[in-house]
Amino acid sequence: MKRERATTLYFGPQHPGITGNMMIRLKVEGDTIVKATTEVGYLHRAFEKLVEKRNWVQSFTLMCRFCVPEPDPVENTYARAVEMIAGIEIPERAKWIRVLILELARMSSLLLWHAGQGHSLGLYTMGQWSVGDRNYILDLFEELTGARIYHMYVWPGGVRKDFPEGFEDRVLKVMDYFENKLPDYDNLLFENSIFQKRTQGVGIVNPEQIIEHGVVGQPLRAAGIKSDIRIDDSYEVYDKLKFDIPTQTGSDIWARALVRRAELRESISIIRQVIGKIPKGDFNVKLPNPQKWTIPAGDAFARAESVRGEVGMYLVSDGGNKPRRAHFRGAAYVHAVSLLEDVLVGANIADVSAIMNSLGTCPPEIER
Amino acid sequence: METFLEKIKDRISVNFELDRSSIDVERKRVDVQIKKEQIPSILRYLKENMNFRHLMHASVVDWLEEGKFEVLFMLWTPKEKIRVFVRTKLDRDNPVMENLDMIWPQLNTYEREFKEMYGIEFTGLVAPEEFILEDWEGPPPMRRDFDTEAYAKDVFSERIGREDAQDVRETIAKRSGEVIPDFAKKHSR
Repeated sequence: MKRERATTLYFGPQHPGITGNMMIRLKVEGDTIVKATTEVGYLHRAFEKLVEKRNWVQSFTLMCRFCVPEPDPVENTYARAVEMIAGIEIPERAKWIRVLILELARMSSLLLWHAGQGHSLGLYTMGQWSVGDRNYILDLFEELTGARIYHMYVWPGGVRKDFPEGFEDRVLKVMDYFENKLPDYDNLLFENSIFQKRTQGVGIVNPEQIIEHGVVGQPLRAAGIKSDIRIDDSYEVYDKLKFDIPTQTGSDIWARALVRRAELRESISIIRQVIGKIPKGDFNVKLPNPQKWTIPAGDAFARAESVRGEVGMYLVSDGGNKPRRAHFRGAAYVHAVSLLEDVLVGANIADVSAIMNSLGTCPPEIER
Repeated sequence: METFLEKIKDRISVNFELDRSSIDVERKRVDVQIKKEQIPSILRYLKENMNFRHLMHASVVDWLEEGKFEVLFMLWTPKEKIRVFVRTKLDRDNPVMENLDMIWPQLNTYEREFKEMYGIEFTGLVAPEEFILEDWEGPPPMRRDFDTEAYAKDVFSERIGREDAQDVRETIAKRSGEVIPDFAKKHSR
């Protein structure tokens, strides 16, 4: 009789190292993974079904809930998809405000990543610092939008309201704070020899996996490919801003961490440019009565660069006052299912959590 | 740019014997309507010969009134920055098409979801039986004729203590003797 050497290990949905409500069924030999299967179904909220029963403005309030750590790119793709189908041209100022919001959201999400990546390797101080500092960004969101996490701010036709008085100065002060703070993050995380040893050469994404799995975002840039939707398929006013796309060649957790480290600095630079260049004017166009607002039949696909990579919204109108279909594609939809299952083979159990964090796993994006 | 768009249109219409009117070119986007049998070959052709390497998204739209499911694949070429939408329609009564995950392994996840949520069969798909729904016995829930409320009432029972499903506003008004104004009554459940 052949002896079975492998053991099945359930990683999640209640494991402290998991990035949300999902599970990975691991088949392990010793502490090496031979097979990994992503299991989801703990979080489905049927947003895409609900959208079909709500009008265009009601649907917008659901969009931010598609991904908790960084809701604004989803709102942005929905708003732009509606504008594409309806043929709405938004005011210039609204585009600049949207970029500011997207970059603030990007910073806030990158700070959460610092916490997650630190936690996954037992470095808890990083999370205490970065989540604490993230509150300064959430304060800005609260002042501007009235909410800290689900902003419901970027809507079809522009944004919901204009800056309060003195808001730009407060944004710049927060940016100054971060510029002074980031060297401390380097000391704590990136120069930490344990962090380096645990991440270098671990969780490698091979070049052939990149096209097969539709890899986007930092995993793509950490493999040496200079690609960013903000530049490649530019939207809002990203083409009027100067910023770099950081790349690395290692394609491991360490390389992806270095890309994120550089991106945090690029976001600060973008926010400073936006504050310096933002024009005066209207911040939205007046929409018709939401109950009676119908949009001509058509479809559109709008995409944006989130912290986890490219996200997109496919929206269909049948000429009525509700979307016929709204289908969201998050980066985690492929990163955390087919790609993660491939990358985990051969990895050590202790590295699962770090690999998940590094690929930008966000379970709410898999089941919307 | 115009020349590349025309080139795509020419090549697709010649190689797949399509009428040029079934290929719609607008700005940086090409829409191709094609029979479901030709989907694997056109996707492979676009990926390998026309540099449309990145599969941005795939989706299903339920056109209940027409009795069709529309399945579409959205491709992108990073070099020329052009999008191609490949579309096909399946009969709602017998939605079957070929498995495509050998072209892009990421399609495996999409196919699992479409199978579960719309009941579309992909012949040759190898994947675990369940994706999002667990022990689901009802009809595919994303179909437009699936009545969420009726299904929930049929399958689930009221939470204990909520059997009478009281209207919150009316109950409080009854207790306190408050009179609900007419305009607010219509919002009561």
